[in-house]
Amino acid sequence: MDVNEKEEFSGEKRNTSYDSADNHPSDWRISGSNPVSAPFGSYSTENLITASCSPSQMMDSFGQTLWYDPTNLQAVGYGGFSGGHPSSSSSSCFRGNMDRSLEMGWSMPNLLPPKGNGLFLPNASSFLPPSMAQLPADSGFIERAARFSLFSDMVNQPLAKPESVGLFLEGQCPSTEVNVGVAHNDASTAMKGPNVRSSEQASKPNVSEDTQSSGQKGGETSSKGFDSKKRKRNRQNSEADQSHKSEEEAENNGDKKRNDEQSPNSPGNKTNSGKQQGKQTSDPKHGYIHVRARRGQATNSHSLAERVRREKISERMKFLQDLVPGCNKVTGKAVMLDEIINYVQSLQRQVEFLSMKLATVNPQMDFNLEALLAKDVRELQLRGGSSSATPFPQNMPMVYPPLPHGFMQQTLSSIGRNISSPLSPINGGYKRQETNGWEGDLQNVIHINYGAGDVPSDPAAATASLPSSNMKVEP
Amino acid sequence: MASADKPINTDVPEKDVFALHFLQSLSNLRRQNTFNSPEKTNDRVKKIKKAAYVSMARAAGGTNRLWSRALLRRAAKENNKVVRLPRRKKRVTCLRRRRSNRRDPVEEEEAERLRNLVPGGGGMETSKLMEETAHYIKCLSMQVKVMQCLVDGLAPK
Repeated sequence: MDVNEKEEFSGEKRNTSYDSADNHPSDWRISGSNPVSAPFGSYSTENLITASCSPSQMMDSFGQTLWYDPTNLQAVGYGGFSGGHPSSSSSSCFRGNMDRSLEMGWSMPNLLPPKGNGLFLPNASSFLPPSMAQLPADSGFIERAARFSLFSDMVNQPLAKPESVGLFLEGQCPSTEVNVGVAHNDASTAMKGPNVRSSEQASKPNVSEDTQSSGQKGGETSSKGFDSKKRKRNRQNSEADQSHKSEEEAENNGDKKRNDEQSPNSPGNKTNSGKQQGKQTSDPKHGYIHVRARRGQATNSHSLAERVRREKISERMKFLQDLVPGCNKVTGKAVMLDEIINYVQSLQRQVEFLSMKLATVNPQMDFNLEALLAKDVRELQLRGGSSSATPFPQNMPMVYPPLPHGFMQQTLSSIGRNISSPLSPINGGYKRQETNGWEGDLQNVIHINYGAGDVPSDPAAATASLPSSNMKVEP
Repeated sequence: MASADKPINTDVPEKDVFALHFLQSLSNLRRQNTFNSPEKTNDRVKKIKKAAYVSMARAAGGTNRLWSRALLRRAAKENNKVVRLPRRKKRVTCLRRRRSNRRDPVEEEEAERLRNLVPGGGGMETSKLMEETAHYIKCLSMQVKVMQCLVDGLAPK
């Protein structure tokens, strides 16, 4: 359910984003999982998203399969990449790859249930070639292609090293760099994805690598190179790219089957480095920010903010998981939220049920308690302000020190003890009573109250007896 | 946006505080003349339930927590009282966040349900909502314990 919804959502985004070339750059950065080059060779069958050879096709495929998270970006990247070539595209394949790769690379496996492996055609390789020369003209397309390549990398190797990408990009297409960069910026602004930034950062370096390696093999790499060039960050990682290049090539040259086995290894390393790189770059804000500025401030800041927000939410989800009983085994936001909602509902129902019970028992309750409590309230109010206004620090019981030390103890046996001990600052430490003891104390209090005098059934009599009970309560 | 993760503070006062507030509200309820009539049990139930929530909100942190503030405000509205709660600076950020709505649709759907459950959840961002939910759950469970003890204590009668 989550996946589908997210896919649809991402699909919408993709559609809007693809219309403008601006979206691509963001995708590139986000995907950053693995260098694009690798996917071409290895992904060919599976990873490559031949969903749509043309942008429109991609959009459709994305609509079906794209995952809202950066993983979608990967898909998009693939789609766009294959756009140039009328290769058979199977959105399902893409999805499958994305899911798989995502699970491998990302920490949200539950979000992307593996969906069978489709057939991927290595279209990427075929349609890259002429793009090199036409890059300036088809900046948008190139960006898309680049992005796809990045995504493919991401799919297989979610964690790509940004360094390699940067190096590769710069070296290959210096002329188109500027154009590409601009296009990327535009595309990035259009892109809307919570983790686009992170993925972009991670995938960028990888993409550059992949593109480079693929280009060597054929047109694919060239396009990749262009795309990677768009990333300004890649410049910083030029050295790393070359090292990765060899790796990518080997991978690309490898099988055309699913690259699951290979990808986990490389993506793991690359993803980590990519992510680190992304974080590092984001913090000092060197090349990355520079790129972001070009593409558009809005998207960059948003994606960063989105990432931080997601991290916050996941952290809080973990906290809630500890709180809600029986949620340790459950993983995933959706199920976890369901559990939390059920738990809150059950607690509220319990309160309602207990209040019903109390309603039947209430009339018989002792009124002495009222008197006792009245004094507490008076004391509290004397302190200044109602208790509700008083901030409750951790040592909350200390708020009630003004109550007479012996008041509670005399009237409310153990309950009084429980309450007064924390209340009296002299005692210092706060002692909690066990639930059983609590009940016993309560009962004792009630007994005492009842024993103190007749409990009038009507409030009028009760008020009359209050003073007498008070007298009895206090020494 | 890179912000240091501050430890989530969801400390809840001990049971006694909840008990004190609840018993106070109950005694206040008893003072009402029409409260102990054998009929109108439903009214009593509602009043007790409301008193339970309000006392829980007071005990849990008064106006320091978003959900307790919302709860108290809601209760006061029912009584046609004008409640003045101290303004919190963080409110503005909540509003701002709503504009940049880049939320996962699936997650938001769940968050919507949670918002309906937790008082005051409508004006919160998702991360803040989680925090409030955690505190709310703690306080609710504490209140349930107190009420359970009370019922058990009174049941043998």
